[in-house]
Amino acid sequence: MTASQMPLLSAQDLARTYSIRRGMAGRVTNVRAVDGVTLTIARGETLGLVGESGCGKSTTARLVLGIERPDEGQVRFDGAPMPGSGSPGWAALRKRMQLVFQDPLSALDRRLPVGLQIREPLEIHRMGTPAEQNARVAEVMEEVGLQPHHADRHPHALSGGQRQRAVIARALVTQPDLLVCDEPISALDVSIQAQVMNLLVELQERLGMGMLFVSHDLRAVRQISHRVAVMYLGRIVEEGAPDEILHAPAHPYSQALVSAIPHPGKTARRIVLQGDPPNPADRPPGCAFHPRCPVTAMRCRTETPLLKPRPSDGRRVACHVAQGEVAPGHVGQLELS
Amino acid sequence: MAFVQIRDMSVAFGSAPALRGISLSVERGEALGLVGESGCGKSITWLAALGLLPRSAKVGGSVLLDGVELIGASPSVLEPVRGGRIAMIFQDPASSLNPVHRIGHQIAEALALHRGLTGAPARAEVIRLLDQVGIPDAKTRANAYPHELSGGQNQRVMIAMALAGEPELLVADEPTTALDVTIQAQILDLLGTIRRDTSMGLVLISHDLGVVSETCSRIAVMYAGRIVEQAESAAIFANPSHPYTRGLLGAMPPISGPRQKLVSIPGSVPEASRMPQGCAFAPRCSEAIADCTRVDPAAVTVEANHLAACIRATPAKTGTRTPERVLA
Ligand SMILES: Nc1ncnc2c1ncn2[C@@H]1O[C@H](COP(=O)(O)OP(=O)(O)OP(=O)(O)O)[C@@H](O)[C@H]1O
Ligand SMILES: Nc1ncnc2c1ncn2[C@@H]1O[C@H](COP(=O)(O)OP(=O)(O)OP(=O)(O)O)[C@@H](O)[C@H]1O
Ligand code: SF4
Ligand SMILES: [Mg+2]
Ligand SMILES: [Mg+2]
Repeated sequence: MTASQMPLLSAQDLARTYSIRRGMAGRVTNVRAVDGVTLTIARGETLGLVGESGCGKSTTARLVLGIERPDEGQVRFDGAPMPGSGSPGWAALRKRMQLVFQDPLSALDRRLPVGLQIREPLEIHRMGTPAEQNARVAEVMEEVGLQPHHADRHPHALSGGQRQRAVIARALVTQPDLLVCDEPISALDVSIQAQVMNLLVELQERLGMGMLFVSHDLRAVRQISHRVAVMYLGRIVEEGAPDEILHAPAHPYSQALVSAIPHPGKTARRIVLQGDPPNPADRPPGCAFHPRCPVTAMRCRTETPLLKPRPSDGRRVACHVAQGEVAPGHVGQLELS
Repeated sequence: MAFVQIRDMSVAFGSAPALRGISLSVERGEALGLVGESGCGKSITWLAALGLLPRSAKVGGSVLLDGVELIGASPSVLEPVRGGRIAMIFQDPASSLNPVHRIGHQIAEALALHRGLTGAPARAEVIRLLDQVGIPDAKTRANAYPHELSGGQNQRVMIAMALAGEPELLVADEPTTALDVTIQAQILDLLGTIRRDTSMGLVLISHDLGVVSETCSRIAVMYAGRIVEQAESAAIFANPSHPYTRGLLGAMPPISGPRQKLVSIPGSVPEASRMPQGCAFAPRCSEAIADCTRVDPAAVTVEANHLAACIRATPAKTGTRTPERVLA
């Protein structure tokens, strides 16, 4: 494989289990937050990761950045294994991989003007002379659409959109090859979300970095991503081009997610899933989705479906029924409760 | 006359005007959506109408419920209204359910307060209500504490509590915002079912035009303490007549068609203490003309049942009669 074909990031079978103590008795439960995730991101490509609260999106983001070590599996960045978190090798890599969080206000230090905060990564990684650092800060601020005078402002004196621009500027100042955005627009007003989405698309096209865009909003994911992975309870259950997934979702969970997108003049019937989101500490056997799935078959209760291309059209989906391995189970399941 | 008729209502905290003249009406059994970005005054519109704002808030204008004035009304007028004729589901569910009481007990309290039910009939009604909102195994779950239920289930309990007073109107303030998409779909479905079964009216407050459009037949769009547009849901999407509404629609990524740059609204929402002169939207408006920063535009009728507060909105041809309702 030549360097240009090699993905920028590849993660193989990542798993991460947290032990949490519950109640006064201090009983320890294991939460398998990520359970065998494999993904790749090429240079210039954006992978969108969608799924509901607690399905393991943020944990996946931390694992691929090496902030946390997976219990199982491996992450390779630019062809080499990810060095351990905190090691000198990892610290050196961090300037090439940056993270943007959900809430811009908590990501910034309220006591410091944002210009200093945008510059900080350059100082940490000792990149350039002070004059070069000034020039780079000015340049990156322009790239994200901030005015030069904003540099002297404290975070609370900026609007929500300007704050998130400052956070993005700080992430981009080291010219990273990989940008991981964990729910970068969820905390923003609707009109500001559009500004930030436009900015991310434009920066990604211009700078050619790889991007992991984590969101629970399928509309936003379609807008930003070249490829989409749908997560459910620690696993990727379907992966494909955004329009394939939005217009012909193969996995029953993707179908429910897509049909839940509210939109004006909607005529198609909504698939209303029964039951609550699952508890990662109490993962159902077989396909983790089977207790809520409208087409569960017998095999779904015992055998975990693997993510693999489906014979009919090559769509990558982890579902016995979508793969055509078993017939759809009793649809009456939908009317339960 | 409309069931609830709000006329020129204003709210100020100190010198900052938070609501600047709201006129809105809700018919019996109608589902009205109230949308707008954070801080535009959606919540305080209904808190003020029900007399639930702190004393420091200066409230002006008029709110008529079936012809009876609520602004400045005495507790003996307001108490049977709150939770009785008009129930409200508050935006922050954590602050509305008491963590130390079982959910059945909390619903029973509402039943005692609004319908004088106690004892066995109250217990039976608690279970019926929990059943109605889709809590499985209601008999056992009535004994659960809020922390033992999921977010979606707690939201169902809140709806059950609101239904306890057999309200004629339910005001649901962002009832699905904190919930997962598939659970949000369940709750919206539930609200629709209850409305069909009880002919109760609904005011659904949300920042999400998509959410509101599926549930409500009419939509009012708010910006900076004003209602800038109101119309039938279909008309809002087919013929958005205020640039802010067009901006909100443009900001929503499409789910099909080519992926293009979104039409975003530049800048951000003004603070109440620094309200721009003229039209509050003018500094962000791509269609603003010189007059926009001078004249605070009044609502004009763009077509039947469709109002927009923009000086560039094209009024309907003469002869189009405006029903009294939207003129409010
Ligand atoms: N440090 C931790 N210790 C214990 N449990 C954790 C930890 N981090 C995550 N978890 C658990 O792992 C699961 C996955 O969490 P994660 O934050 O990755 O989900 P997510 O998909 O990002 O959710 P959200 O959309 O709510 O941000 C959850 O059940 C969470 O409670
Ligand atoms: N008790 C209060 N004292 C002072 N200002 C207040 C008070 N309550 C609300 N406000 C202000 O009034 C304005 C409107 O608030 P409101 O809660 O109605 O907004 P909203 O449209 O419901 O926003 P959100 O979508 O964030 O819930 C805001 O600027 C808010 O800060
Ligand atoms: S494997 Fe079975 S239970 Fe899982 S999604 Fe497919 S049909 Fe449903
Ligand atoms: Mg997360
Ligand atoms: Mg509110």
